[in-house]
Amino acid sequence: MSEAFTDLFSAPLTFNWTLSFRCNFVCAHCYSRFEEGEELDTADIRRIVDVLAEKKVPFINFGGGEPLLRSDLFDIATYAGRQGLNVSMNTNGWLLDGDAARSLQASGFKSVGVSIDSHQAALHDDFRCQAGSFARAVTALDHLRAAGVKTTMSSVISRINHKSFRDLLDLARNHGVTQIYLHNFKCSGKGFENRQELDLTPEEWRDFYVEALMVKEQVKDLAISFDDPVIASLPQYRENSLVKGSSCGKLSLHLRPNGDITPCGFIPLVVGNILRDDFDEIWYHSPVLNAMRSKEAKGKCSGCAAFADCLGGCTARALAVTGDLEQPDPHCWK
Amino acid sequence: MKRPLRNPQIVWRHEKRREEEILKAQERGEAVEDRGTVILIISGMMHQLNLVGGHIWSLCDGSRDVDGLIEALAEDFEVEREELVEDVRDFLADLEQRGWLSYV
Ligand code: SF4
Ligand code: SF4
Repeated sequence: MSEAFTDLFSAPLTFNWTLSFRCNFVCAHCYSRFEEGEELDTADIRRIVDVLAEKKVPFINFGGGEPLLRSDLFDIATYAGRQGLNVSMNTNGWLLDGDAARSLQASGFKSVGVSIDSHQAALHDDFRCQAGSFARAVTALDHLRAAGVKTTMSSVISRINHKSFRDLLDLARNHGVTQIYLHNFKCSGKGFENRQELDLTPEEWRDFYVEALMVKEQVKDLAISFDDPVIASLPQYRENSLVKGSSCGKLSLHLRPNGDITPCGFIPLVVGNILRDDFDEIWYHSPVLNAMRSKEAKGKCSGCAAFADCLGGCTARALAVTGDLEQPDPHCWK
Repeated sequence: MKRPLRNPQIVWRHEKRREEEILKAQERGEAVEDRGTVILIISGMMHQLNLVGGHIWSLCDGSRDVDGLIEALAEDFEVEREELVEDVRDFLADLEQRGWLSYV
């Protein structure tokens, strides 16, 4: 695929949408616990959906905060579905009982992801600082399956699970999950605060990815996805990804509860507001987005043979740790 | 006559701005066969259709038969009729084989 700048899509393929920063948990790695802000009412949310539909954004994914804390979640999803959007969401599962699962199904959710960070209940509960949360997350998967909603599982890879990720795959399988996301550990919000304790060293990241990529090749009944651009520097990485480097700003954008747009949930740079500003103007001309789309190699990235594929890795982490989005990803092992 | 219809499960988007760029490039005499104007997202994978393919895809809305489709295309593309007919048939056969298209 040609990667010329003029080949930029007319809009992202996905909006990751934080409807609310409110959450019933205080997880050790969460990026949103220090954020606060105005939340929009249902009418404004619908106006946003109209903009996204007009721009032909095919996918929206509600994340959080906990989407189920919004009492109008089902109405919003139904409305978005009618406008042609494919709606999914991520939840910690706590509030997802049988009724909620049926309502999610009825409001047209294409899939629902449940966050589970360890196959061991005690470790998960500890990580999520919520006793009983493992059991409820797993039950949520079962409720969803019973209601006929496609499920995914999301696990943040950290010190508590990087050696036992195969058990997470088994857990997913046993509960009818068809896709698992092994997320890289991000350095913002509480994740930044707890970085020393939870994050792996660059060498451990490399070892984890080498092994996980091998397992991915072997496993046929479960799709395993990673969202870490730095793995593109590994020879074992064979995926033909849609874009090089971070997908944020190229294929995806993030919406905050007040309609502010940021490149991704982990980059605290507001590029505009979807209700107040012209979307095309932001998408094509935002200096931040354009900087992310045309990163220059700095530091050890200059001269690195992998730069064409990896583009310096995760921009959010580089920015959080160094203050400069063009610096190498601090997870890089090169 | 049967009318081709896109698989309604497939998420797709016409990329207008790309198309404008590609048309300009074509006028400059550049090869544009590999550049996509329509993107399809199928089980998490993205596929692209070029200028002609994208046009055909857009027309497969179940409202016209293959002759009608060729008629509509002929207005936009200056190629030999025979060549066009053959290209369209090959392309539709390929889409059908992939399960991306059916006939109604
Ligand atoms: S040095 Fe930079 S370009 Fe090379 S692998 Fe590391 S982050 Fe990627
Ligand atoms: S900047 Fe990093 S965290 Fe944000 S979307 Fe890109 S890769 Fe993911």
